[in-house]
Amino acid sequence: MHLKPYEYMKKTNTQFRVNKMPMCINKLLLTMKISTLLLVIGMMSIFSPSSYARTKSPDIKTASIGTVLENITQQQRVRITGKVTDKAGLGLVGVTVFVKGTSRGGITDVNGNYSIPINPDDKTLVFSFIGMIKKEVTIGAQKAISVVLEAESTTLDEVVVVAFGTQKKTDLVGSVTSIKMSDLKVPSSNLTTALAGRVAGIIAYQRSGEPGQDNADFFIRGVTTFGYKTSPLILIDGMELTTQDLARLQPDDISSFSIMKDATSTALYGARGANGVILVTTKQGKVGKASLSFRIENSLSAPTRNVELTDPVTYMKMSNEAILTRNPLGIVLYSDEKIANTAAGLNPTAYPANDWKKLMFRDNTTVQRMNLNVSGGGGVARYFISGSYTKDNGIMKVDKRNNFNNNINLKSYTLRSNVTIDVTKSTEMIVRLSGNFDDYQGPITGGADMYRRVMRSNPVLFPSYYPIDEQHKYTEHILFGNYDVGQYINPYADMTKGYKDYSSSLMLAQIEVKQDLSALAKGLSFRTMVNTNRKSYFDVSRNYNPYFYKLASYDPLLGIYGLEAINDATGTEYLGYSEGPKTISSTFYLESMLNYSNTFKKKHNISGLLVYMLRDQLNANAGDLQQSLPFRNLGLSGRTTYAYDNRFFAEFNFGYNGSERFYQTKRFGFFPSAGLAWSISNEKFFEPIKKVVTNLRLRTTYGLIGNDAIGTASDRFFYLSNVNMNDPTNLATFGRDPGGYTLNGISISRYANQEITWETSIQKNIALEVGLFNKINIQAEYYTQDRENILMTRASIPVTMGFEAPIRANLGSATGNGVDLSVDYSEIFHNGLSLSVRGNFTYATSKYKVYEEPQYKEKYRSRVGNSIYQQYGYIAEKLFVDDVEALNSPKQNFGVYGGGDIKYLDVNKDGQITTADMVPIGNPTLPEITYGFGFSAGYKSFDCSAFFQGLANESFWIDPSATSPFASYRYPNEVISGTLQNQVLQAYADSYWSEDRQNINALWPRLSPTINSNNAQTSTWFMRDGTFLRLKQVEMGYTLPKKLQDKMRTSNFRIFVNATNLLSFSKFKLWDVEMGGNGLGYPIQKVFNVGLTVNFN
Amino acid sequence: MKKNILIGVFALIIFTVVSSCGKFLDVVPDNVATIKNAFTMRNQAEKYLFTCYSYMPKDGNIGIDPAMLGGDEIWMLQNYGGTFFNMAKGLQNVVSPYGDNWTALFEAIRDCNTFLENIDKVHDIDESERLRWISEVKFLKAYYHFYMVRMYGPIPMMKVNLPVDANIDEVKVYRDPVDSCFSYITQLIDEAMINLPLTIDNPMQQLGRISQPIAMSFKAEVLVYAASPLFNGNTDQAGLKDNKGTQLFNQTYSKEKWDSAAVACKRAIDICQSVGMKLYVYPKRYMQFNLTDTIAIQLSIRNSLCERWNSEIIWANSQSYCGIQGSALPALDPAQPQNFVPRGDYSPPLKIAEMFYSNNGVPINEDITWDYSGRYNLSIAGYSDRLYIRNGYTSASMNFKREPRFYADLGFDGGIWYGQGRYDDKNDLGLFYVQAKYKQPNAVAVDRSTVTGYFMKKVINFENVIGAATAYSTAQYPWPIMRLSGLYLMYAEALNESAGPGPEVYNYINLVRQRAGLKSVESSWTNYSSNPTKYTTQDGLRSIIHQERLIELVFEGQRFWDLRRWKEATTVLNAPIKGWDGNQEVAEAYYRPILLFNQTFGEKEYFWPIRDGNLTTNTNLVQNIGW
Repeated sequence: MHLKPYEYMKKTNTQFRVNKMPMCINKLLLTMKISTLLLVIGMMSIFSPSSYARTKSPDIKTASIGTVLENITQQQRVRITGKVTDKAGLGLVGVTVFVKGTSRGGITDVNGNYSIPINPDDKTLVFSFIGMIKKEVTIGAQKAISVVLEAESTTLDEVVVVAFGTQKKTDLVGSVTSIKMSDLKVPSSNLTTALAGRVAGIIAYQRSGEPGQDNADFFIRGVTTFGYKTSPLILIDGMELTTQDLARLQPDDISSFSIMKDATSTALYGARGANGVILVTTKQGKVGKASLSFRIENSLSAPTRNVELTDPVTYMKMSNEAILTRNPLGIVLYSDEKIANTAAGLNPTAYPANDWKKLMFRDNTTVQRMNLNVSGGGGVARYFISGSYTKDNGIMKVDKRNNFNNNINLKSYTLRSNVTIDVTKSTEMIVRLSGNFDDYQGPITGGADMYRRVMRSNPVLFPSYYPIDEQHKYTEHILFGNYDVGQYINPYADMTKGYKDYSSSLMLAQIEVKQDLSALAKGLSFRTMVNTNRKSYFDVSRNYNPYFYKLASYDPLLGIYGLEAINDATGTEYLGYSEGPKTISSTFYLESMLNYSNTFKKKHNISGLLVYMLRDQLNANAGDLQQSLPFRNLGLSGRTTYAYDNRFFAEFNFGYNGSERFYQTKRFGFFPSAGLAWSISNEKFFEPIKKVVTNLRLRTTYGLIGNDAIGTASDRFFYLSNVNMNDPTNLATFGRDPGGYTLNGISISRYANQEITWETSIQKNIALEVGLFNKINIQAEYYTQDRENILMTRASIPVTMGFEAPIRANLGSATGNGVDLSVDYSEIFHNGLSLSVRGNFTYATSKYKVYEEPQYKEKYRSRVGNSIYQQYGYIAEKLFVDDVEALNSPKQNFGVYGGGDIKYLDVNKDGQITTADMVPIGNPTLPEITYGFGFSAGYKSFDCSAFFQGLANESFWIDPSATSPFASYRYPNEVISGTLQNQVLQAYADSYWSEDRQNINALWPRLSPTINSNNAQTSTWFMRDGTFLRLKQVEMGYTLPKKLQDKMRTSNFRIFVNATNLLSFSKFKLWDVEMGGNGLGYPIQKVFNVGLTVNFN
Repeated sequence: MKKNILIGVFALIIFTVVSSCGKFLDVVPDNVATIKNAFTMRNQAEKYLFTCYSYMPKDGNIGIDPAMLGGDEIWMLQNYGGTFFNMAKGLQNVVSPYGDNWTALFEAIRDCNTFLENIDKVHDIDESERLRWISEVKFLKAYYHFYMVRMYGPIPMMKVNLPVDANIDEVKVYRDPVDSCFSYITQLIDEAMINLPLTIDNPMQQLGRISQPIAMSFKAEVLVYAASPLFNGNTDQAGLKDNKGTQLFNQTYSKEKWDSAAVACKRAIDICQSVGMKLYVYPKRYMQFNLTDTIAIQLSIRNSLCERWNSEIIWANSQSYCGIQGSALPALDPAQPQNFVPRGDYSPPLKIAEMFYSNNGVPINEDITWDYSGRYNLSIAGYSDRLYIRNGYTSASMNFKREPRFYADLGFDGGIWYGQGRYDDKNDLGLFYVQAKYKQPNAVAVDRSTVTGYFMKKVINFENVIGAATAYSTAQYPWPIMRLSGLYLMYAEALNESAGPGPEVYNYINLVRQRAGLKSVESSWTNYSSNPTKYTTQDGLRSIIHQERLIELVFEGQRFWDLRRWKEATTVLNAPIKGWDGNQEVAEAYYRPILLFNQTFGEKEYFWPIRDGNLTTNTNLVQNIGW
C-alpha cells in the first residue's frame, strides 16, 4: 500500500491524531511545545473547513502515522554501486543517489562511494548534490555507475520575474533583484520585517513591535518626492495590494519575489511605478503526485529593550522640585511625610508605589505559526493550495477576575488556491482565489496606547486596585484606585475594563487566460487577466465603566483605611458596547497583453509586448463626495527587447498612462525608457580569463516614469475646487436665545488649478556585474533619480492674500542618487560542507533641487541642496548656568526660560533666537544607508546561518514633550480625557539640571511641572544618532537523515531553532534604537523560535 | 478556419476593451459643488453671509480674546500656561506670536471680498435684502481691518481680492499708514450705514446681525481710537517706515480727530436712544422677594453685562457666548464640595480691587473720609455690612466701605455672593459667602481657585446654580462688544478732549455713576476728594473719565485696549501683580499683600509683533518697532 498519510486517512475516513505519532516525532513535537490542538485545527481547516471548530468527535476512528508507515512494503532488491566525483576527480561526500520516481536511494560516503539496492524495473538513477547540476543516468544492465557532477553556475539560466513576464537573469537590462525565499523565512507573522538588509536597494526599518501594527516601513532607493506616496507599488500575482497584504503573505506560498528599481524595469507599470515595484508571484502546481508540506513554529518573544522609569520616591521628590524650581510659591503635591512613608514601604494601600509596567505587562509572550500546502496535478490541471494560521499574543496581563481576555490576540488565517487548467492545447487558464483574514482581540485602545498610558500615569496617588475590605465584601466589581474626582489615568483599569475585537479580511479572485497564438505567428501569445478584491474591516469594543475608589481615611497606627467611591453614579458592573468604523473597499483590475518573442538566425532574439490595463477602485466610507468617486488608472504600455548573440542587449519601454486626478488636457502622460547591456564575458576575446572572471556584464538604463500620487491622498481632482457647502467650522448663529438661528458656512479646501499634472521621475542606472570562479558574484549599481514637476505649496504667497487652502503648483524638483551593492559567495567543499556568505549595501540620498521658499536672508535656511528628510532645528549650546546668564544672552522667543533651560545658538547674530536661527541639523530622518550581511553553512544534516543588519546616516529625536516629566502630554489627534502626568525616565532622573547641581550638560534641562516650550523646540539637544547594527537572525537546523525520512515517506524533514533581534549595537540606550522617535510605544520584540518543516511525498 | 476564429475572438476582446474606456477617466459627475454654487440661490448665499460673520473673534473667550487674560485684570496660578497668560507674563514673541490673528482675519477679509464680488449673481433675492447683506459684509470687512489695526498698528488694507494666479510682486503688499487705515475703515462703515436696518425686526432669529446703532457706535469707537494718543501723533513710532520710506504713523497731534470722534459719539448715542436703548436698571423684585436697594443696585450692575440683550446692549457677539461662568465661579455651595465645575480660577489682582472707588464715589486714595494707609488692616463686619461682608467675619479694611460696583464685580474672602440659588436678602446669613483662606472651601489649591484672593463675580449670572456632581446650570449670554454705558463714557472722553470740561461731559459720566449707585462727579469730588476741583480741569477730568471707564467696564475686555490707546500701559502694566497670602489660615497672616509676579511692559508691546515667517514671505512688510 503506497498511500501517503493523508490519502490513507481519506480512504479510511479517519482523522489525524498527532498524539498517536511515532515516539520520535511525538517527542520532538512535545519538546517543541507545539500545541497538538493547533495542528489538528490547522489540518482540519484544510480538509474540512466547515467543521474544524471544536469538533473532537469520539466516534471518529483513529489511525496513526505509525500504522501508515508500517504498511510500506519491503521488496526484494539488487545492489548497484559506484563513485561520484567532481570535475577534478575528487570524491564527493553526501551526494544523494536515488531511483527516479521513488524515494529509495542513499548517499555517498566520505570517499564518494555509494551502494544502493534496486528493483529490476528501476530505470533511472538520479544524482543530486547542492550546488551541482543534477544528473540522471539510465541503469540498463549496469551494476556499477560512476558519475562526474558539474558545478552549477549560480547565475546561468536563472530566471527572474520581471514586469509582465520573466527574463533570463543573463539577459536583464533593467535593475531587478530577486530574493530567495529562504531569506524571507523569519520567525515573524509579518513578512515586511524580513526585508531590511536583505536586498540591495531597499531601505527598511521597523518602528513598533505590536502584533498587527508591526509593519516595517520600506522604500526602494530612498525617497525623492515630497508627495504623499513614497512607498513602492506592491503587486501580488499582478494585483496591486497594500503593505498590510504583503505583511500577511506566507513565504511558503511565494514562488518569486522581485524588486524593480529603475526606469526600464518599472516602465510598464507607468503611473504607479515611480517609487519602485515589488512583484510577488505565488506558487503554482506542477505535474506530479500530490506533495504536501507543512511548517510549524512556536516562538517566545520579549521586548528587546524596555524604557526604564524611575522609582516612585524619586518621582515624588522630583515632582516637588519641578514645582518649586519654577515657582517658589508653588504648592507641592507630595508631603515629606508621604515621601518618607512610601520610601519606608509602609502600607502600600495608603502609600502606593506602583510599577505600572510590572503590573500590566508580562516579560514575554508566545506566538504560534503554521503553514500547510498541497500541490500537484496531472495533464489537464495543476493545483497549489495552501493555508496558514498564525497566532500572535500581546504582552499584556489579564486580570483573572474578568472572564474575558484583554491581551492582544491576533489570529491571521490565509487560504490560497491556485489552479491551472489547460483548456485547449494552446490555452491555459489560471484561477487564483485567496483570502487573508485577521481576527484580533485586544485592549480597547491598542497595545501601543497601553504603553503610552503607563508613561502618563501617576505611580503614587493610588494603587491599581484596592483589596476587598470588610466594607466591600459584597461588592462584585474590582475596586479600581483613583484620586480626587477620578480624573487620573489608572492604566490598569483602562487595560482590564474591556476588550476590542476587530476583523479584517481581504478576498481576492483572479482569472488569467493565456492563449498561445503561434498559429497566427510564431512566438505570439495573448494573455488577459481580470482580478478583483474586496477589503473589509470592522471593530467592536465592549467594556464596563470601572468603579473608582479613593482613600477616604487612613489610621497609620492601626493601619486601617476607609474607601470612598468616586463614581458610583457612572460606574457599571456590566459591559457596554461601542462600534468602531467599518471600512469596505473594492477594486477591479484588468490587463490584456499581447506578447511576441522569436529568435532569428539563432543570434537575433526579438521580443515585443503590448499591455493594456485598467484599474478601478471604490471606497465605501469616503467621507465626502469627491472622495467617494472611483479611483481610476488607465494605461497602455509596451516593451521591445533585442538581444544579439547573448552579447548585446537592448530594450525599449514605454508607458502611456491616464489619471483621473488631472484636467482633460493634462490627463495622459507618456513615459519612455530604454536600456542597453553588454555581456563582455560572452565575447570571444574574453575566453582566456573566463575561468577566473566567469561573468562580466555592463548594463545601463535611462527613462522617465510618471507619478500621479501627488499632493495628499485626499486631493482627488486638482482641476476642481473642493468646496464644503455645509461646513460647521464656519457657522454663525444669531437670535435672542442661545443657538437661535444657525447656519453652517462655506469653506474651500482646495482652489482649482487645471495646470496641475504628472510628476515625472527621470531615472538613470548603471550596473556592473562580476562573477568570479563561479563562486563569487558582485553586483554594483549606481543610480540617479531626478524628480521634476513635484507638486508643492507656493511659499511665496503671503497670508495677506487670505487663502483658506494652500496654493500649489508643479514647481518642485528633487534629485536622488545612490549605490546598491551586493556580493555573494557560495561554495561547496568536498567534505560536504557548504558555505555561502552574502552581503549587501544600499546608499540612497536625496536633495531638493527646486523648492519654492521665501528669499531668506540667511542662506542656510534654504532647503535646496538638503535632503527631503532633513530636519531643521536650533543648535543647542548647553543649559544656561543660571538666570543671570539667560538674561544676558540673546532673547529666546519660545516662552519662559532661565537657568537650566536650553541655550540656543544665535546663528544669524541678530540678538534673538527666531525661526531664522533654525539650521539643518543631523542626518535625514530616513536612513541613507541600509546594509546586511550574513552567512549560511550546511554540513551533513546540520545547517546554520546568521544575519546581521544595520542602518546608518539617520537621526531621530527624543520627543521632549512626550517625555517631559510631570507634564500633561497628548499625542497629536489623541482623544483622552482626564489628568495626564508623564512619568520620569530613569535616564532623566539620573541626569538633569537642578539648582543644587547646575550641570550644564545634563540630559534633561531644569524640571518643570508643565511642558517648557523653550526646551521643547526641535533642537540638537534631543537629537540622536539612529545608526545601529543588529544580529537580525541566527538559525540552526537539523534535517533528518534520508534513510529515516524515506521510511516516513517524507523529504526535507527539518527541525530548526532560530532567533531574531538577539543583539544590537548602538550608542542609544533608552529604548530600541530602531524605534526611533516612537520609543514610548510598543517595543520591538526579540523572538526565540523553534520550528519544524516537513514535506510528504 | 481555426485561425480565423482566433483572430475574431482576439479582435473582439481588443475592441471591447478599448471602446469601453473612452470616458473611463471622467469620473467626476456634473454638479460637483464649486464656489459658484454659493451664489446661485439666496439660501446658499445666506450661508456665505454667515461665513463672513463666522470669523468674528470670540470676544470674552479666555483663549481667543487677548483682552481677558493678556493684561493685568485677571491673574492665575503660576503653573497655568495658555496663550494670553503667557503674554501677560511678558513672553510675547515673534516666532509664534500669542493670539496672532494675521492669518485668520485676512482669510475673513478675502471671504468678505468674495461675497461682495459675487452677491450680484444671486437671482432669487429681494433687492433690499441684497443691499442689507452687502452693507453687513462691508461692515464686517471694516471690523476685521480695525481689529488688526488695533493689534498690529498699520496693516495692508485688502480692499479687493487679488486673483489666485497674481504675480509675486503684486502679492507682496505694503502696510498702509494708520491714517489711511482709519479713513478706509470709516469709509466702509459710512457705505454700510445706508442700507443697514435701524432695528432688528426679527429678534429671535437675527439679534447679533449688524444694525445702524451698531455701525454708528463702532464708527465712533474707530474715530476715538484714531484720535487717541497711540495713533494720534505718536512720536514713539516715528521710526516705523517701510522700505519705500513711507512713514506709517502720523507725527503731529490733531485735535480735529477728537472733534470728529465727539460728533460721531453723539450721533451714535442719538441713534441708540432713538430706538429705545437705555442704561439697564434691575427691577426691585426677584420672585417673591422684595430686594433691598443694596442688592438691586448690584444686580443692575451685574445684569447690565449678564442679562442677554438687555436694554443697554448695543452689540453683543452672538458667535461668542460667555464661556467662563464655570471656571470663574468659586465653589460657593458647601453642600457640593465634590463639584469641580466651579473652580474660581480667574483672580483679579489687588490693584484691580484697589481701583474701585470708595462708597463716596471717589478713588480710595483721594477720599478724605477713607483710611487709605490702613487699608490692609483688619476689620470685623457688622450688621450694616451684612449684605457686603458676612456679619461677624474678619476681612481686610479695604474690602469695607466701597462703591456698589466693588461688591457687584468682585468676590473675596468673607464677601457675600448674592444669588446662585439663594435669593432672600432679608436672610443675610442664608446667603452664600466666600471663604478663601488656606484650607477653606475656596482656598487656593494646587490646580485651581483664586491666587489673589479675589474672584470675578461680574461675569457670572446670579441665577446660575451649582448642582451635584458636575451639574451647573447657567444662564447664557452672548458677550457684549459694546454697551451704552461704554459709549457714554467714550463720548465724555472725546468731548473733554475736544471741548474741555462742561455740563455735557459731566452729564454722561453721571448717568453711568447714577446707575452704579453713586452721586454725581461734581458733588462726590467737591465733598469727599482731597482734590475737590479735579473735575474742573481737562487733565483732572481726563483721569476721572479714564478711571470711571476702567471701573465700569472691568472684566469686559476693554481695559487691555484702553490702557494701550491712552499710552498708559507703560505705567500701569509695569506695576507688580499682588494678592493676599493664600497659604495662610488666619486673617492676620492671610491679609498681607504678597508679590505674585513682577509684570513688565515694554514700549514695543503696544503692538503685536508680525510673525517673522510672514516677514520672510513678504519682504515689503516691516516689523513693528522693538520686535
